[in-house]
Amino acid sequence: MIEYDEFENRMVLKLVYYGPALSGKTTNLLSLHDILDQEGRGDLTVLDTKDDRTIFFDLLPFFLTAPSGLKIKLKVFTVPGQVKHDATRKAVLQRADGVAFIADSQLSEETNNSESFGNLENNLEFVGLDIESIPLVIQFNKRDLKDTVSEENIVRTWGPTGIPVVLSSAIMGQGVVETFSRLVELTYDRIDTKHLLEKNHGLDKNMFIQKITGRNLNEAVFKDKRNMTAGY
Amino acid sequence: MIKDNQGIQYDYIVGEEKKLLELIKGPDIMPLLKSAVNAGAASAALVNAEGEILHQYGEADRAAGLIVSRPVYLEGEVAGQIVISGHKDRELLLNAVGELMFNALKIILQCNFKTILATETHKTVVYQSYEELLETNEKLKLSERKYRELAGSLEKQVQERTEDLKRAHAKLLHQEKLASVGQLAAGVAHEINNPLGFILSNINTLNQYFYKLKEMVFFYRTAMEKKDASGKYLEKSKQQWERLKLDFVFEDTDDLIRESLEGAGRVKKIVSDLKGFSHIDEAHKSDADINTEIDRTLSVLTHEIPQGVQIVKNYGELPPFSCNAAHICQAFYNILLNALQAGGAGLVIDIATQNANNMIKIKFSDNGPGIPDSIRDRIFEPFFTTKEVGTGTGMGLNVTYEIISSYQGTIEVESEVGKGTAFSILLPLPQKVKNV
Repeated sequence: MIEYDEFENRMVLKLVYYGPALSGKTTNLLSLHDILDQEGRGDLTVLDTKDDRTIFFDLLPFFLTAPSGLKIKLKVFTVPGQVKHDATRKAVLQRADGVAFIADSQLSEETNNSESFGNLENNLEFVGLDIESIPLVIQFNKRDLKDTVSEENIVRTWGPTGIPVVLSSAIMGQGVVETFSRLVELTYDRIDTKHLLEKNHGLDKNMFIQKITGRNLNEAVFKDKRNMTAGY
Repeated sequence: MIKDNQGIQYDYIVGEEKKLLELIKGPDIMPLLKSAVNAGAASAALVNAEGEILHQYGEADRAAGLIVSRPVYLEGEVAGQIVISGHKDRELLLNAVGELMFNALKIILQCNFKTILATETHKTVVYQSYEELLETNEKLKLSERKYRELAGSLEKQVQERTEDLKRAHAKLLHQEKLASVGQLAAGVAHEINNPLGFILSNINTLNQYFYKLKEMVFFYRTAMEKKDASGKYLEKSKQQWERLKLDFVFEDTDDLIRESLEGAGRVKKIVSDLKGFSHIDEAHKSDADINTEIDRTLSVLTHEIPQGVQIVKNYGELPPFSCNAAHICQAFYNILLNALQAGGAGLVIDIATQNANNMIKIKFSDNGPGIPDSIRDRIFEPFFTTKEVGTGTGMGLNVTYEIISSYQGTIEVESEVGKGTAFSILLPLPQKVKNV
C-alpha cells in the first residue's frame, strides 16, 4: 500500500505487472485502458519507451469512492522487463499490494520466464514483501502464437501451487480484464482483512470490482470460460 | 531512506500521490488564465478539490453572475476545477474558453505528471543503485581484507609447516644416527663377546690349573723338608724359592687372575648393557623396568662420569612399563649427559623413582650450575643449544621431550642458577581394566 491516510480518508493501492522483457506487460495495460472506460479510470501514462521497450514503467490509475467516503486510488504499474533495469523494478515493486506475472507462452521464452520469476522472488524479498502471501496472478500471454507451452504443462506446473493462472492474448484483448479482475479480487480480500472495507466502509468485493472494472465479479472473471485452467 | 547530496532525506515511493499544486505551477497556468481574460472572461481561476483558489487572474465580476467551471482530473480523480466568471451575455464564449482550458490543462498536467514521475523514479533508482554500489563496495572491501589476511597467514602457515618439516627431518636424522650407532654398538658388542667368552673361560681354567700347580708345589716342598736330613737341598731350594720370589708370585698371581676375571666381567657387563641400551634385538614395545633402564643408561655413561661425581639412587618399586626401552634410555641418557657435562667437581646427581597415582614418577636432580631464566623456556626447542658450534645438535632435550610425549607423559624442569636443576618426568600407566 502506497499510503493510507485516515485523516484525509484516503487509501492508495499499488498493483504491479511483472515479467520478462517483451512478454506483453505494456500491451496488457494498453488493452485494459482501451477496454475499461468507466468513470474513475485515469489516463494511461507511458514513461519513456524506446523501440517499444519500457525503460521506466507505465501507469494506469483508477479512482473510486467507497460509500463511507473513503477515497481509494488503485495504481497499476508495469516494470521494465529487461534484465539491466533491475533497480527500476525494485523501485516500482516497493509497497506493492498485488502482482500479476505476465509470462510469455512461447516455448523459446521458458528460460526467460523462470529467470524473471526468480528475479521477482528476490526483489519481493528485497523490498520486504512475502511472496507466499502477496496477491499473485500468473498470466500466460501470447496464446495466439504458435509453438507455445501446452495448457497441460501449465496446469501441471502451476496447478499445485494454487496460484490463479490466466491464459491470454493481450494484443487481442483476451484474458486481460480477467487477469486484472482476479488480481483486484485477491487484493480486495487482503485489504479487507486488515482494513474492513466491507464492514467499516460499506464497500463489498463486488462493488469494488464493479467500480474498478465497470463489470460485476462474474462478468469480469468468468466471462471467457476457455481461459480458465485448473489453477482456479 | 535515501539522502541526496544536500543531505535532504529523499524517500520517494513510486506511485506516491501528487497534489495539484505540485503539478501545476504558476508559469504553466498563468498564461492560460490570462488568455481567458483577454478572450473576454472577467476572471479565470484554478481551485483545488477543497475549493481553495490556487491561481487566479482578473477580478470576479459578481454583478455579471455567470460562472462556468470544468473539472480537473488527476489519475482519474477530480482534483480541482477551472472556474471562469464573466458576463451572462458571454455564456457561449465562456463555455468555449472553459472547454479549451480543460483540454489544455489536461495536456499540461499529463506532461508535468510524466516529468515528475520520471524524475523522481530516476532519482530513486540512481540513489538506490548508489546505495547498492556502496554496499557492494563494502562487501568487496571486506572480502579483500579476508583474502589479504588469508594471504598473510598463509605465509605464516608455510613458515610453520617448514619449521615442522625441518624438525621432523632433524628428528629423523637423529633417529637414524641413533639406529646406526645402535647397530654399530651391537656389532662391536657381538665381536667383543666371542673373544671375551674364551678369555673369561680360559682365565677361569687357568685359575683352576694354577691352584692345582700351587698345591703340588707346596706338597713337594713339605715332602722335601721331611726327607732332606742334611738340609742341603732344603737350603738350596729355600734360596731358589726366595730368588724366584715365589711367595709373592703365588700371592700376586691370585690377584692377577682375580683382577683379570673382574675386568673381563666388567667388559662383559658393558657389552651386555650396550646391547641392552641399543635394544637392537627388540625394536617393538615390551614391558620394561624403568629402574633397570636407568641403570643401563648409567653404565653406558660410565666413561662420562668423572672422578668424584656421586650418583645417588632412590629407586622405588615400579610396575612394568610397556615401552620401547631404547627410546626411554635415550630420553634418560640426554638428561644425564647434560647434567654430567654441565656439572663440575662435587656434582651430585640424585635419581628418584616412584609409583604414585597410576603414574611412574622419575626425578633427576643435580646440584650443577642451573639453567638461567632467560633460556629455561627454550631448552626443549629443537636446535636450541648452549654448547659450542659443532659440539651440540640442540636436539638432546627435544628428543627427550618428544619421547616422553609419545607415551602421553610430561616433563617439567625446575632450576635455579647456582643451585641446580631438576627434571621431573611423569609417565602414565595404562588404566587397569577391571574384570566385572
